[in-house]
Amino acid sequence: MSSNTPSSSAGGVGSADSAAPRRNSKRPKYSKFTQQELPACKPILTPRWVISAFMLVSIVFIPIGVVSLFASRDVVEIVDRYETACVPDNFRNDKVSFIQNETTNKICTRNLTVPKRMKQPIYVYYQLDNFYQNHRRYVKSRSDSQLKDNSSWDDVSSCKPEDNANGMPIVPCGLIAWSLFNDTYNFSLNNQQLAVNKRGISWKSDRDSKFGSDVFPRNFQNGLLIGGKRLDPNVSLSEQEDLIVWMRTAALPTFRKLYGKIERDLQPNEVIQVTLENNYNTYSFNGKKRLVLSTTSWLGGKNDFLGIAYLTVGGLCFFLALSFTIVYLVKPRRLGDPSYLSWNRNPGGH
Amino acid sequence: MKRYVYINDDESSHELFCDNRISNRKYTVLNFLPKNLWEQFSRFMNQYFLLIACLQLWSLITPVNPASTWGPLIFIFAVSASKEAWDDYNRHLSDKKANEKLVWVVRQGIRKHIQAQDIHVGNIVWLRENDEVPCDLVLIGTSDPQGLCYVETSALDGEIDLKTRVIPAACMGIDFELLHKIKGVIECPNPDKDIRRFDANLRLFPPFIDNDVCPLTIKNTILQSCYLRNTEWACGVAVHTGNETKLGMSRGIPEPKLTAMDAMIDKLTGAIFVFQIVVVMVLGIAGNVWKDTEARKVSLDLVKSLYAKFIDWDSEMIDYETGIPSHATNTAISEDLGQVEYIMTDKTGTLTENRMIFRRCCISGVFYGNEGGDALKDTKLLNAVAGSSPDVVQFLTVMAICNTVIPIKSKTGAILYKAQSQDEDALVNAAAQLHMVYVNKNANILEIRCNGSVIKYEVLETLEFTSDRKRMLVVVKDCQNGKIVLLSKGADEAILPYAYAGQQTRTFIEAVEQYAQLGLRTLCLAWRELKEDEYQEWSLMFKEASSTLVDREWRIAEVCQRLEHDFEVLGVTAIEDRLQDGVPETIETLRKAGINFWMLTGDKQNTAIQIALSCNFISPEPKGQLLLIDGKTEDEVCRSLERVLLTMRITSSEPKDVAFVVDGWALEIALKHYRKAFTELAILSRTAICCRVTPSQKAQLVELLKSCDYRTLAIGDGGNDVRMIHKLISVLALVEEKGCRLQEQLIIVLESSAFLSQYSFYKSLVICFIQIFFSFISGVSGTSLFNSVSLMAYNVFYTSVPVLVSVLDKDLSEGTVMQHPQILFYCQAGRLLNPSTFAGWFGRSLFHAIVVFVITIHAYAYEKSEMEELSMVALSGCIWLQAFVVALETNSFTILQHLAIWGNLVAFYVINWIISAIPASGMYTIMFRLCRQPSYWITMFLIVAAGMGPVLALKYFRYTYRPSKINTLQQAERMGGPILSLGNIEPQPRSMEKEVSPLSITQPKSRSPVYEPLLSDSPNSSRRSLGSGTPFDFFQSQSRLSSSYSRNCKDN
Repeated sequence: MSSNTPSSSAGGVGSADSAAPRRNSKRPKYSKFTQQELPACKPILTPRWVISAFMLVSIVFIPIGVVSLFASRDVVEIVDRYETACVPDNFRNDKVSFIQNETTNKICTRNLTVPKRMKQPIYVYYQLDNFYQNHRRYVKSRSDSQLKDNSSWDDVSSCKPEDNANGMPIVPCGLIAWSLFNDTYNFSLNNQQLAVNKRGISWKSDRDSKFGSDVFPRNFQNGLLIGGKRLDPNVSLSEQEDLIVWMRTAALPTFRKLYGKIERDLQPNEVIQVTLENNYNTYSFNGKKRLVLSTTSWLGGKNDFLGIAYLTVGGLCFFLALSFTIVYLVKPRRLGDPSYLSWNRNPGGH
Repeated sequence: MKRYVYINDDESSHELFCDNRISNRKYTVLNFLPKNLWEQFSRFMNQYFLLIACLQLWSLITPVNPASTWGPLIFIFAVSASKEAWDDYNRHLSDKKANEKLVWVVRQGIRKHIQAQDIHVGNIVWLRENDEVPCDLVLIGTSDPQGLCYVETSALDGEIDLKTRVIPAACMGIDFELLHKIKGVIECPNPDKDIRRFDANLRLFPPFIDNDVCPLTIKNTILQSCYLRNTEWACGVAVHTGNETKLGMSRGIPEPKLTAMDAMIDKLTGAIFVFQIVVVMVLGIAGNVWKDTEARKVSLDLVKSLYAKFIDWDSEMIDYETGIPSHATNTAISEDLGQVEYIMTDKTGTLTENRMIFRRCCISGVFYGNEGGDALKDTKLLNAVAGSSPDVVQFLTVMAICNTVIPIKSKTGAILYKAQSQDEDALVNAAAQLHMVYVNKNANILEIRCNGSVIKYEVLETLEFTSDRKRMLVVVKDCQNGKIVLLSKGADEAILPYAYAGQQTRTFIEAVEQYAQLGLRTLCLAWRELKEDEYQEWSLMFKEASSTLVDREWRIAEVCQRLEHDFEVLGVTAIEDRLQDGVPETIETLRKAGINFWMLTGDKQNTAIQIALSCNFISPEPKGQLLLIDGKTEDEVCRSLERVLLTMRITSSEPKDVAFVVDGWALEIALKHYRKAFTELAILSRTAICCRVTPSQKAQLVELLKSCDYRTLAIGDGGNDVRMIHKLISVLALVEEKGCRLQEQLIIVLESSAFLSQYSFYKSLVICFIQIFFSFISGVSGTSLFNSVSLMAYNVFYTSVPVLVSVLDKDLSEGTVMQHPQILFYCQAGRLLNPSTFAGWFGRSLFHAIVVFVITIHAYAYEKSEMEELSMVALSGCIWLQAFVVALETNSFTILQHLAIWGNLVAFYVINWIISAIPASGMYTIMFRLCRQPSYWITMFLIVAAGMGPVLALKYFRYTYRPSKINTLQQAERMGGPILSLGNIEPQPRSMEKEVSPLSITQPKSRSPVYEPLLSDSPNSSRRSLGSGTPFDFFQSQSRLSSSYSRNCKDN
């Protein structure tokens, strides 16, 4: 065949000289990566593996659940719902007009009994129900630049409908600020004033970098509709901690916001007298108002959910592990039996 | 419509016809942007996203920043646009290279070197040996005194053997110098894409010749992209230039290829769109109840598509090129690769190596080469040659001179042969080794050196091989004794019946059969002495016949027929054409995997069938049956088509391999008039052989299957396959030997792409469901729980990286796949990616959304329910779940998988810490705050356990008690036990070879022998099919399969 080569190679020259070098350069370099030959661990779901995984989860989760539950139970919480009780009987049928009437007496007194010893700090929250702070138009109705920086005080474009009042920009503008919660609470214990520390209830980061110390309320609550609390125009926004707390919108329609801290221990059966001013209008949307005094644990406030959920998940995993074990023992099945392959069952029949 | 081409007229034609600039470009600088955007937006998916993105510009209804949609949208578009631009640029470069190539063209009577693109119609172009033809030319002169030249037309029709072209009679004998000044007119049809026809007339102006009109045929032309071979120079008149050449006309426009996965995703996007509308309606009504007048608009926005947002964008960005040493010119191919149902393959150079070797022969009933497998080393034969046994000498003489080979003496004195066909080359070389050396050809005088003595023959007539006659005829006159001898070689069915009455042809039939069973290509050699007067009489008729204009070929054949009788059959030769390594095995496995194989070849039927047999393409009787569709007229084709269809329907239930064979002519008719029947046939048949098909028929076939919604893969190597491949979804170039590797790749790719889109679907849905749930507790107002930055990052980064690595996931090892190729069948037709698995993922995403949402809002209730915190808790919950979902779906963990899955989780925290450190960002300090809370971590673990527990349990249950086929194989593979092979999986036929066939001891393993007498009893084929044997069958080899649409014919 040697003498044959010229003719065949002559035929190949044209195509080879253009294609060959390129083809070579295209060939990827060998590496374990390109050849998909990286050392690999290939776990499969063997009964032992799966059962022990479930077992492990239940072993870890049940103690955590117990601990969480205990932590939650350790938290002492006093909750007082007052939005109905604080409306005089004669206004019970028309709560909205009561709250909108500026002349009615909004002062209301509540007595709270401490069920267990409460260690300081005791957090004072107000809780609103059915209040959709997460509503889209509500959430967006604010101007962060205005809050932060005095120079952009007239940046109210995003604040509709509370952007301007009497032709002037509002500072702080927007629905959120406008609807600032304005019930007030005064606590006394045995006729002694119980000091509520309202400093440091907001996030430090908010005070430092979201709310400017040179921004002062201006033209606020001057419109036709008064939404909520009025702000002292002489106090900069960075010190208006109630506003700062309120502006951290809640994601859920039921939420608590920090009102202040009581920095002393409360003993069991002590009775706290709360003098509250019931100003905030939740009546037009059937919102509930609660006053909450609560201690705290490493897990936060009183919330049994995590503990119960952990116990449930742990229990279910245990149950699954158990039932898998039983099924495995009762009806063992060999893994990877090729006779399960359909083409092995009826040869040629695909 | 005709065009008149004035030869060598420098002025006239410039405006009439385009210049020779070729352009395969899809875009120009100006139209790139609009055209590309138009193409991208012609996908429903992209329209949908555009709609969404536009809606987001309307700030009233937009919960998230428009940038979160526009950013990725623009990015993705930019990526695919740049890919297109790059492809187009490369096309442009190769065009440019071709356009700027320098060629010799006559200008003002002088030969000049100009760029190919400046050739105008009417110019005379000079070509040297091995030059590429820059445009369609009508030959007017060659270096050969006979006016012949040889061209390689592989870029046109894929046939790598050399074709002869001849100058028109009118130009015969024009002096070299005068060719520069030649003037005339060519009347030729307007450009078309038929590469087999060129009906034109040439008239030369005085002083060259009288005013006779000389008819031109395709024989007188050399077409663009052919190569001039074995001819020192040739010159011709440009008649078609630029994109108007035959090749240019048949070039398809590269369309953007939409993969099956894309199509599926488009459908799903449609479904999601409908789903959205429904949700919008429901929520809109709910919102109204909630006394929100704008709720409808707002909810439109809420539902706004977060789903689906990035469903396939991920998958399009992935490049699978790393896999095998192959080059995927289209990065989207691999999805389809896994779902291929039809493979259409070219034969020559793809399945076979195309290296012909003379192996055995049978001379006058004596078998040579049977013992050693190589007749050239058979001492019996060598002795016979040395002893000048007359039979053997005659045999060798025919071998040496009954051909169109041209011997050339090299400087060293060795003789080289230039052959048009590999078969002839093999025969002449074998004869030379057996001391029958074909020394020289001088005009009509042949010189043969036999055992030291030189014998001269004068060639009187030659009739080259035609596929109809299946034999070649040479009439020579022995210069020594003046005897006139007719030599013939051809297929057995074309020779043996014409043996003289007394001759026993039984041994030859046996020989042919035996050789055919070994997969060798057989040729019968015969001769007959002619009487002087018989020849003279015949010669006149022959001359007359060869000068007719109508039906010339047929007339000549008829005349020759008169001479072809009373042959003395000398013997049978057997030539081996090796299949490429591993071809039979690969085809066998692929066929087991349920992939239908079609062989499309320009070859003749017998050759095609033979190759098909030897590479397990079709099974021998009685397991297989071969049906033939033929016929010259519509009726015949129709009848035979119906007959085949009927047989096909009957046998479709039997486990029998039924294949049909169709030739180009019948195919043409079938595709034109009986498209429906043919389509049905195509669907019924698992195997088909289409022979003598043209490139555009290949393309038509592919289109036919595509229109039936089958995934088709075309494999080819030549320019003739380019069109077929253009029509296709998938283009690939792979190294043939890696065929097995490809299989394994198929599954991996398939799995990962299925996983990919399901996963994208899942991860988007999780977020969407959470958003929907959140809308119920935010007054159905459409507040987004997540901020825009988080969403964008979630979609683009956090959840894409693990998926990128999942591409490298390996379900099954190579070995397992090879043992159980059927698994591929299971993967076909999108069985892994179908609405029900999507429903599964849908359920999973719903469940996970519920888990994340419920746990988050309960664990972060009351005083903790701050928006930013809650949103981050929910998002990290999703991220944790994603990580575990990916981990659970990953089959093999390499370091990369670990890195991507867990590194991604870490990256999430790192990135969020960084963002949390920026005072200006909305989530300033949030992440630090969260990470300090024990409750955050406890919540995360809870989400993971609650989310993954049931999923794991379910998966375990199904894996163990309702395993899919892949699962079972995985288990088998990793339990380490031996994988039992039952049923029809084994054994490979090759292993039986040595025990059964005594003849094939030295046969290389590349053949799989065929034991049964093939096809002999099937109704529509005959034993004749076995006799192969045509000088022009096999082309020179291109051992690599390669094709790519960017590498166009020009460049090939």
